[in-house]
Amino acid sequence: MYKAVIIGGSAGSFQVITKILNSLPENFNFPVILCLHRLKHVRSGFVEALSIKSNIPVIEPFDKDSIKAGTAYLAPSNYHMYIELNKRIALSTEEVVNHSRPSIDLSFETAALAYRDKLLGIILSGANKDGAYGLKKVKQMGGTTIVQDPKECQVSTMTDASLKMSKVDHILSTQQIINFLLKLK
Amino acid sequence: MQNYELGILDTRNIIKTLNDSCNYDFKNYALTFFKRRVEYIIKKHGLKNAAGFNEKIENDKNFKDLFLKEICVETTEMFRDPSLWRYLKDNFLPKLVPNTSSFKIWFPEVSTGEELFSWAILLNELKLLDKVQLIASSISNKNIEDIKEGVLISKKIESNNANFERIFSTKNLTNYYSLKDDKAFLDTSLIKNTKFLKQNVIFDEFPKGIKLVVFRNQMIYFNQILQERFVKSLHSSIVPGGHLIIGNNEKIDYWNCDKDYTQICKSESIFKKKLS
Repeated sequence: MYKAVIIGGSAGSFQVITKILNSLPENFNFPVILCLHRLKHVRSGFVEALSIKSNIPVIEPFDKDSIKAGTAYLAPSNYHMYIELNKRIALSTEEVVNHSRPSIDLSFETAALAYRDKLLGIILSGANKDGAYGLKKVKQMGGTTIVQDPKECQVSTMTDASLKMSKVDHILSTQQIINFLLKLK
Repeated sequence: MQNYELGILDTRNIIKTLNDSCNYDFKNYALTFFKRRVEYIIKKHGLKNAAGFNEKIENDKNFKDLFLKEICVETTEMFRDPSLWRYLKDNFLPKLVPNTSSFKIWFPEVSTGEELFSWAILLNELKLLDKVQLIASSISNKNIEDIKEGVLISKKIESNNANFERIFSTKNLTNYYSLKDDKAFLDTSLIKNTKFLKQNVIFDEFPKGIKLVVFRNQMIYFNQILQERFVKSLHSSIVPGGHLIIGNNEKIDYWNCDKDYTQICKSESIFKKKLS
């Protein structure tokens, strides 16, 4: 029933993402859209670091790339990453949102519109409120929402804000998130 | 966060109104971008909803040009992506420009002008500014007027300065602007020989005999149909052996495009039009 997974994170989310990518099987049958806060001037290194332990390819997409199952799409530095209704990536250099470009809210909001009830949205550790509004939109459009257990987060500002803004479906530890993803249909 | 949200149908209605009443065709813009941009404009001007927007665009002449300015995304900062500028400074421009006469550089959409001024400053630093002809097009008259006055959005000054120092380590961008009240003004003598064209690059004829086209992070606002049409049209505008520079995560993507262009540098999006 799902068509895509979208994950947002900031400070303290790198290890969680690495663990998740390391646990997904090679034939994972969904696209994974990653919007993580990152340094604007460091263009290279991040996607390589995530790729090392990932079983599925991790790429920084080009504008208008088609989204395919079994690939992880990392929002490139200094761009917002939108999901078009025709399931393509669209990049943007519009103003920062929540002090961030890429902004998690924008990726989640556009993905919610494109995938509606077929989207799983996950918010991880972070030191900023970005993502809370986006996760609410995922829920509003009929998607499923997960927040990493704030007790487990290195920084829980992002998860706390998400829990405050909308009624989230699941609060899970990293291992429980992985188990959830492995059972995804 | 924005509180007004356009539905997809409303968005399509607005596209139709713009086409019917102003002859502006936005149907091949990236939809999520266009929707978000119009939501921003509706909110900024207190227009309440799609009907309010349509009424304003049909009845207020000044609003049309303002709309064209605001639909353009402000350039994020001067000298965005310092590694590209270092490559241009050290490898690309010194070899290219001195060997030719009438070196035309075209900016198909200058938006808020930071890119144009960055190029003028780089060329000035390399003592090449007198050897080139800069041509700057914009969909909006207001954009062109503002650029001619050199107005710089001051909240970006810090990142502009930081970028500049990453490229010219010992020099300082402050030589190129002056501060007045709360605003920064770039030195407009840099663009005294720039030719400005009010045009919509999607419909209007392209200038010919161009050696270099600079169109970074502007194609991202088109859908793939318009991107393809645009890059193909550019091909007749650029001279054989001329170049096209686009944004880091933009690509030239149409059937057999390898026949027309080669990427000359692996890490930067600089393409050369093949000789034949």
